[in-house]
Amino acid sequence: MSASAPVYLDHAATTPLAPEVRAAMLPFLEREFGNPSSRHALGVAAARALETARAEVARLCAVRPAQVTFTSGGTEANNLAVLGLARARARHGKHVLIGPSEHPCVRDAARALTEEGFELETLRLDAAGALDLEHAAAHLRPDTVLVAQMLVNNEFGTLYPLARLARLVRANAPQAVLHTDAVQAVGKAPIALAELGVHALALSAHKFHGPKGAGALVLAEGLRPRPLVFGGEQERGLRSGTENVAGLVGLGRAAELVRVRAPAARTHLAALRAELRAGLGALGGAELVEPGGPGGVADAIAAVLLPGPPAEVWQHHLEARGVFTSVGSACQAKKGGVSPALLALGFDERRAKQVLRLSFARETSADEVRAGLAALAAVAGELGART
Amino acid sequence: MSPAGEVVIGRYGELWLKGKNRGDFERALQRNARVALAGLDPGARIEREHGLLVVHPEQGARAVAERLGDVFGLSSLSVARAVPSELSALTEAAHALLAETLEAWPRVRPVRFRVSTQRADKRFPLTSPEIDRHVAERIPPVLAPRLAVDLEQPELELCLHVRTGTSYVFAERLPGAGGLPVGTVGRAVVLLSGGIDSPVAAWMTMKRGCEAVLLAFHSYPWVGLGFERKVERLAAALARYQPRTRLYLAPLAEIQTAVRDQAPPPYRTVLYRRMMQRIAGRLARAERAGALVTGESLGQVASQTLENLACIEAAGELPVLRPLIGFDKPETIALARRIGTFAISIENEPDCCTVFMPERPVIHGKLALCEQAEAALDVEGLVTRAFEARRAVDVAG
Repeated sequence: MSASAPVYLDHAATTPLAPEVRAAMLPFLEREFGNPSSRHALGVAAARALETARAEVARLCAVRPAQVTFTSGGTEANNLAVLGLARARARHGKHVLIGPSEHPCVRDAARALTEEGFELETLRLDAAGALDLEHAAAHLRPDTVLVAQMLVNNEFGTLYPLARLARLVRANAPQAVLHTDAVQAVGKAPIALAELGVHALALSAHKFHGPKGAGALVLAEGLRPRPLVFGGEQERGLRSGTENVAGLVGLGRAAELVRVRAPAARTHLAALRAELRAGLGALGGAELVEPGGPGGVADAIAAVLLPGPPAEVWQHHLEARGVFTSVGSACQAKKGGVSPALLALGFDERRAKQVLRLSFARETSADEVRAGLAALAAVAGELGART
Repeated sequence: MSPAGEVVIGRYGELWLKGKNRGDFERALQRNARVALAGLDPGARIEREHGLLVVHPEQGARAVAERLGDVFGLSSLSVARAVPSELSALTEAAHALLAETLEAWPRVRPVRFRVSTQRADKRFPLTSPEIDRHVAERIPPVLAPRLAVDLEQPELELCLHVRTGTSYVFAERLPGAGGLPVGTVGRAVVLLSGGIDSPVAAWMTMKRGCEAVLLAFHSYPWVGLGFERKVERLAAALARYQPRTRLYLAPLAEIQTAVRDQAPPPYRTVLYRRMMQRIAGRLARAERAGALVTGESLGQVASQTLENLACIEAAGELPVLRPLIGFDKPETIALARRIGTFAISIENEPDCCTVFMPERPVIHGKLALCEQAEAALDVEGLVTRAFEARRAVDVAG
């Protein structure tokens, strides 16, 4: 292990809790323990805190607070959108379209719909790795009821053109609702619901310096998915179960911070990526993988094609030097195999395994990126991987 | 909380066979049972009563019986009522137990039933068949119509174990783990990989009374820490079957790098294993273990040939036990499922980096070529450094 402080370059997996978020949460882990459904002072205080948090998430997405449904995180928000919206729209048709590289919480939820008689089709990427909108237009139908397309790709940072897709959906599939998994997008791309043209948007607190176990599904006005969880009718009946008050207060505070800080952060992230790009050029044999072209990628997520042994070997050697990175997404890494997104890009299995992901956040410093580059150079020497 | 008088009785397995060592075996069994119950029912009283282990639980008797079902040395277990060895008390307890047991049987037809008395106390005034008859003839009229006596194929056997002082009444036998109490047959070092076989080999070692000291090798940073976590979880699953479990993790990356760089590629795997054998031998000496144990079976993978096993074994001095040698894979898998290691073993967690694996491993290895390849290596230094860098984990069961 390196003696210096660890360099965390895996913010797409999760981010550290912001100190301000922690401070906002603490009272609700201690003296403010009330159940928001209780009608005494403690309960009312908890309910008020939830409403403050809801207002912050609403502000982040430029919607009204009533359009925000709290969940246990991104997975539940995406499940509620895919299963709940498709079921609610089933009388208009049973055709569902999902993006080519959706997270398993979207993909597998959509697959589960096929057991209920839904027909599932998948959008595709063009040869440049951008979303193939021609293909999308051709596959939208009058009986399409749900389209789910992520906003920012978790492995490469590809920004998908949701606004354009939304126009195609409105024109060709008037019965369809468009859902976007924005879990990777918060702080990296604008997520105003109306600007994106989407009907539903999922986010997760721990991806932007909030706590794990808190997320939200933001819905267009009047849109009501079928609930997945039944019980005490919390969240207007869309998500029963006593609320994770401290976690959601944290989500609210994190939403406020990211809204205020995102514009400056985006400039900073662009500078970090420029630093990385220059450094990789000097390293030799390594290059950024940027599906859709450099302009179509969120700066915070960098996929690096490395020479020599599989990226996993690089990852562990970097880790031994105190630099934390990832191979594929943490969720897919667990399942093994090759990322579908890379296969879509025309990578063969061997090359697909040579892609390492570095991901930054607003507090990542240029020094950390340089330390990461220095560690990459050192590991390259160790592995004899210079080609 | 157990009803008053509810106990768990455990019957000894092969302990009966061990004439002179019998006392040692019983004491080891009692000790192991105490450790097994420490987390579940620390207040349980565990006694030895002439060929029976009798546990007086403070908590639930059934949970205690199930936990003891994983302790080697017991052939079977029963949750039983302890009653004074008097005919009236025995009869009353037997009828009460019968009424309770019948609640779980459907009422559509009579249940085939018998009373079976085993009389250890030959001074008891009635013989076993007389006790059977006494109890059966006095079954309360509300229960009698639900029963049909069937001495040959009973579905429900009401058992009376008549002993001096206290007797036991029970209606069910749970299988015990069999084998011998761990610790009565010494200690062995088990080479644990992340796979399906070696945890089963460890379990079979323990089953025969031998304490298993676990040794795994990791290739960090060529593979991730996830592998070490996986091995730790396998060790935790195995810790259920012996009173103390220690896992050692030794680094192999330096050895693998040296072998890869300096030895003929086909021999890499055999040479890695020869190194592991040497490190395991060092550990065995330090732990006063008398043997090494591996999960190898014959011919299961191309490299598990007699020649290769001989090349590997020749690197060490201790006997190498291979409990799975005659197993087909499905047999090993069935056992792995039963002992709770299978689900962990099949988790996708690389144990060896592909950069170390030869494309075509040797199938009929020759010892002379192994030794020739090792002449180019600092075997002593490599083995010593890996052994000294080992990390010990005390695993909770």
